[in-house]
Amino acid sequence: MDAAALKTRRKRRELILQTLLVVAVALIVWAAISTAQTKLDELNMTSGFGFLERATGWAYSFSLIDRSIDDSYSRTLLIGFMNTLFLGLICIVLSTILGFAIGTARDARQLGLNAVATVYIQLFRNLPLILQLVFWYAVLIHMPGPRQAYSLGDALFLSNRGMMLPALNVSPLVVLGIFACLVLLGFAIFRIKSLQFLHKLGLWLVASIGLTLTLASMFAPAESSMFSLPVQKGLRFQGGLTVSIELVAMILAITLYGSAYIAEVVRGGLHEVPSGLTEAGKALGLSSRSIWFHVKIPMALRTIMPPLGNQWIFIMKATTLGVAIGFSDLFYIVSTSITQSGQTLELMGLLMLFFLLINYSLAQIVNFINARLALKGH
Amino acid sequence: MATSIAKIACAVAFAAGVAAPVTAFSKSATVTEIEERGTLLCSGHNGSYFGFVEVNDKNEWKGLDIDMCRALTTAILGDPDKAQIVPLSWAQRFPALQSGDVDVIIKATGWTMGRDTEVGLQFSLPYFFGGTQFMAHGDLGITEAKELDGGTICVEAGTTIERLAGNYLKTIGVEHTMVSYEKASELRAAYLANRCDAFAAWGPFLAVLRATELEKPDAHIILSDQLSNEPIAAAMRQGDEEFVDMVNWMIAALLIAEEEGVTSANVEEMAANPPNPKIARLLGVDPGMGERLGIRDTWAREMIAATGNFGEIYDRNLGEGSPYKLDRGLNNLWSHGGVLYAPILD
Repeated sequence: MDAAALKTRRKRRELILQTLLVVAVALIVWAAISTAQTKLDELNMTSGFGFLERATGWAYSFSLIDRSIDDSYSRTLLIGFMNTLFLGLICIVLSTILGFAIGTARDARQLGLNAVATVYIQLFRNLPLILQLVFWYAVLIHMPGPRQAYSLGDALFLSNRGMMLPALNVSPLVVLGIFACLVLLGFAIFRIKSLQFLHKLGLWLVASIGLTLTLASMFAPAESSMFSLPVQKGLRFQGGLTVSIELVAMILAITLYGSAYIAEVVRGGLHEVPSGLTEAGKALGLSSRSIWFHVKIPMALRTIMPPLGNQWIFIMKATTLGVAIGFSDLFYIVSTSITQSGQTLELMGLLMLFFLLINYSLAQIVNFINARLALKGH
Repeated sequence: MATSIAKIACAVAFAAGVAAPVTAFSKSATVTEIEERGTLLCSGHNGSYFGFVEVNDKNEWKGLDIDMCRALTTAILGDPDKAQIVPLSWAQRFPALQSGDVDVIIKATGWTMGRDTEVGLQFSLPYFFGGTQFMAHGDLGITEAKELDGGTICVEAGTTIERLAGNYLKTIGVEHTMVSYEKASELRAAYLANRCDAFAAWGPFLAVLRATELEKPDAHIILSDQLSNEPIAAAMRQGDEEFVDMVNWMIAALLIAEEEGVTSANVEEMAANPPNPKIARLLGVDPGMGERLGIRDTWAREMIAATGNFGEIYDRNLGEGSPYKLDRGLNNLWSHGGVLYAPILD
């Protein structure tokens, strides 16, 4: 037999094997679905997504938009989805910033700085996240109550109910608009080639504040202040923005834990940068800041990015711990919905779908950044 | 007609040499089983559910529900100590009853349609009423839920209480934030740390918690609102109507005794010299009380001597004689402003 015939045979064999695999997977999935269907019918349990339109009848601790016990299950699930996304994004941003700082400190030559960073990483990386979360929550809820809240200039309050911050006196839609403007502004400024990174950052911050104030004064309702300040009234604070203590605890715990991991990733990345490059920078008389910004980080990012993406996905998944302390993330909403409505399989399916959606998108973003970072020609 | 058939049946039984009691009334299979075993198997708890089913420092069971078990045991077997308490979790209680691990569940169990039909249980007369209530921090200076406006309420996640509380507060127009926890221990810790202004739970549980578990009971107040009212009854397996009769009349006898002023202290005196025909019937001076259930005529007398009437049981476990000092409230006789009543003893 000649080589071509052997090749065709091998191809055919591979094709058959792959077809068999696909058929087997399809069969297993079909069997699982049909078994579930028969069992549900036997137990007289209703299945399907009709319950999504029913009112839930229960309340929960946190939402970005208006909520009520008359909300349908679909709206409640949407709120859970938004809460998870909101919490996850905040934690990703904060722990990435903190992680880069700690990782750099770990790579530093100064003994003191290095030791502090090492202790930080070992402490937060080696304790289970749920334990840290329950610990921080216990600490936070033992702060004074709303009537004895710590206050800063009567505008910012901290109590065991949460953080009460001054807010802009505009509708959530306007806030979203302002936020979008700031992001666009950021992109515009960072495209300016002639400025240094820190100068760009400073410019963006100043411009952002100016823009926000202008827009807020334009959209604030007539004859009322541009800001809404929290004022203690009866059992609660009215006005301003209340960040519930559960959210604070979640952000704190996940950020500390996540940043310890990211710091190790960053340290590893910085370590990979050939020492010759840093030495060359020194020989050119660059400051250590310039070396970090223009030599080490651009080189290290290529090694940092893939594991960093994994950490981001991990942080997203860590939001599901909210159920332990009463923070209404998506998992919490789904698990309460299951006990209250009994639609276990449907809700579990939705939960998986939502997380797949979030984390798959995140992975795509990371892949995109990776592709942009890749050295041309490699 | 039925009587004569029963008589013939009895005669046949005698002829066959079976030691059946001479009675014209059919006897419960469960009661026969309990008599043969010599003990009554009753539901306990995996731990202490204070006031109802608890273990004291001498490792003995006590509580309102335990005393009801002991009363039933005395009625059937003549000795309260023949009650055998089987520790069960909340989730285990119904399967344990169905599989015969216990004869009866007397453990703060609410009478619901699902349990009555799907779970296949049979409920007795309700002997206790308790509903969902709020407990709030005393320093707020409030007495009813209306004043909770703007407050934070803690509840256990995924319970009927979660929905009841949300619905009630919405109905009376109280704006609030609801924080729900998966575990009771986290809920309690959050309430004690003042994370929430109020905490919603089963009223008697809150009252007992306040009286014993909290360091300063006076620093907490149970608000006057009653969100629901659950009838608490003994649960039995379906299919033994005679046993249901037995348990119903055990509860009835405790209530009638309280109504008529028969207590553990004066029961012998009353039996020796019954002040009215009802008491004479109750205490077995006039025959019929036991015969109709297939047991001894003096069962109620022995039971009251052993455990006291319902009022005594309540006072000892939840009321003045207990650390909890709960008011009788709804759990008083109808003639004293409560909702408890007994069927007619004729």
